[in-house]
Amino acid sequence: MKVRSNSALKTILTIALNTFREAVRDRVLYNLVIFVLLIIACAILLGDLTDGNEARTIVNIGLNAILIFGAFIAIFVGVSLVSKEIEKRTVFAIFAKPVRRSEFVLGKYLGLCLTLLVNVVVMGVGVSLALVYVKGGSLIYSIWGSILLIFLELTILTAVAILFSSFSSPALSALLTFFTFVIGHMSASLRDLAAGLGSKFAVFFFEVIYYLLPNLAHYSFRTEAANGMVPTSPMIGGAVIYAIVYSSILLLVSALIFRRRNFK
Amino acid sequence: MNKSSLQYVLSGIFLVLGFIAVFGLSNYLERNRVSLPEAYQDEDLTLQGKRLKGYVLGAEGLIADWYWMQSLQYLGSKIIGSKNESFDLGDLRPLNPRLLYPYLDNSTELDPKLMAAYTFGATILPAIDTSKAIDLTEKGIANNPDSWNLYHLLGYIHWRNKDYEKAAQAYDTGMKLPGAPSFMRIMAASMRTQGGSRETARVMYKQMLESDPDAQTKTNAEFRLKELDALDDLDALNASLKTFTERQGRCASGWSELLPLLQNVKLPEGRDFLIDSSDSVVDPTGIPYSIDRSTCKAQIGPESTLPPS
Repeated sequence: MKVRSNSALKTILTIALNTFREAVRDRVLYNLVIFVLLIIACAILLGDLTDGNEARTIVNIGLNAILIFGAFIAIFVGVSLVSKEIEKRTVFAIFAKPVRRSEFVLGKYLGLCLTLLVNVVVMGVGVSLALVYVKGGSLIYSIWGSILLIFLELTILTAVAILFSSFSSPALSALLTFFTFVIGHMSASLRDLAAGLGSKFAVFFFEVIYYLLPNLAHYSFRTEAANGMVPTSPMIGGAVIYAIVYSSILLLVSALIFRRRNFK
Repeated sequence: MNKSSLQYVLSGIFLVLGFIAVFGLSNYLERNRVSLPEAYQDEDLTLQGKRLKGYVLGAEGLIADWYWMQSLQYLGSKIIGSKNESFDLGDLRPLNPRLLYPYLDNSTELDPKLMAAYTFGATILPAIDTSKAIDLTEKGIANNPDSWNLYHLLGYIHWRNKDYEKAAQAYDTGMKLPGAPSFMRIMAASMRTQGGSRETARVMYKQMLESDPDAQTKTNAEFRLKELDALDDLDALNASLKTFTERQGRCASGWSELLPLLQNVKLPEGRDFLIDSSDSVVDPTGIPYSIDRSTCKAQIGPESTLPPS
């Protein structure tokens, strides 16, 4: 039993590393160049536009850009992780070996998470350097809490992308994942809005949406970070557990769907 | 040249000509763009900060920054576009910057801790609409109850409005907050005893110049201090002109005649008169003061950016 679990772990890690290498080969990390150019432009140009308060605007632009770039990678790479293997028929070569479908899904997920982690860390370093350049070094400490939350949000989004791609086409999966991303950020506000409408059905509907879809508003700490605030340990701890639990649910459902899928 | 090379050369020529055409067309379209009528340029903001909150994917801070930058650009464009070359920083109503408050309001709704917006609003809005300035600063205090600087700004607005009792109350409350400088205690007292004095004004603007992080506020404070210096200069010049008239039985024909008298005059803060190369007494912006012959009084030169005395 122990031998099997060791072997499963090795398989998952191998798939994850291969997924990371594939992402690098596919030039996914080229987005970092655009990001760096954006941050350099902000650091140089924002001084006049913000009347000398460029540090907080660099944090706002930087952190939102990290989220948007990361979300695009999570959505567009995430939905093609499985479908590309099927399209290229490489999935047959993989499953000819002693690899379980659940291991394959988990390995792909972790590989993309690793890609996102590298991406997010490099971008975070870019924002930090820009802050040093504009003499806003005091904000460097506060941005990393927010960057961790962004990464956790992206891991959930990746799991959502994998779930949709396990049963629908890449284009539809991308669209559905994008909608989940948008609604996931608004679910709390929509629930409050529904409470104000007075309709029982609306209240019930948005209550279901609130708990069923990932509540990504938990991971929004960008405005606070721009004001020098740092997330507390209970907040970080809760966010990590929420991300692990929610992603596990999605990956389990994905693996179950994927197990029943016929590749012929 | 073979066929393939020729294709490359022709493609290259086409690309260059294409970009030249795009450059020309772009400029042509820019020149022929139908400009909006003036009434449309200040169209009310479609979106309200409080309604956007919760629906912008957590990017409230970024949008708050955008509205705040818009407020700076908006006021700047109003000043640049003003047909009247000289304007009074103390009264910006002729520029009609009616969207300034909505921009700042949206900005602070989306990020209630955006101190730069509160500071900018508290120093500029009193020159447009005092009640809006008070609204914005009180909102800032409600959202940032530990910020003594906002109480200082509220005191400043009431002081500008000549409501010295309310100004003193603002300083009284602010001075009890942790980290409040002793300056707040001094201001609370001086508001009650000599609220309208020039000395109080000088302390107020000096404090803003030294401690406020906002560049616009510093510029404003620096200008106000120059204005106060000019008022001190004018008082001293008028006193010297009076002495000269009493001694000579006529008004001085120019500043050079008055220089021997001015050498003995002590200005507040230990300053000396500024004299240019042509022996004219100049104001803090470097423009010579003029003498009104009919009244034999010194006045701000017509080319100065300082408001007329």
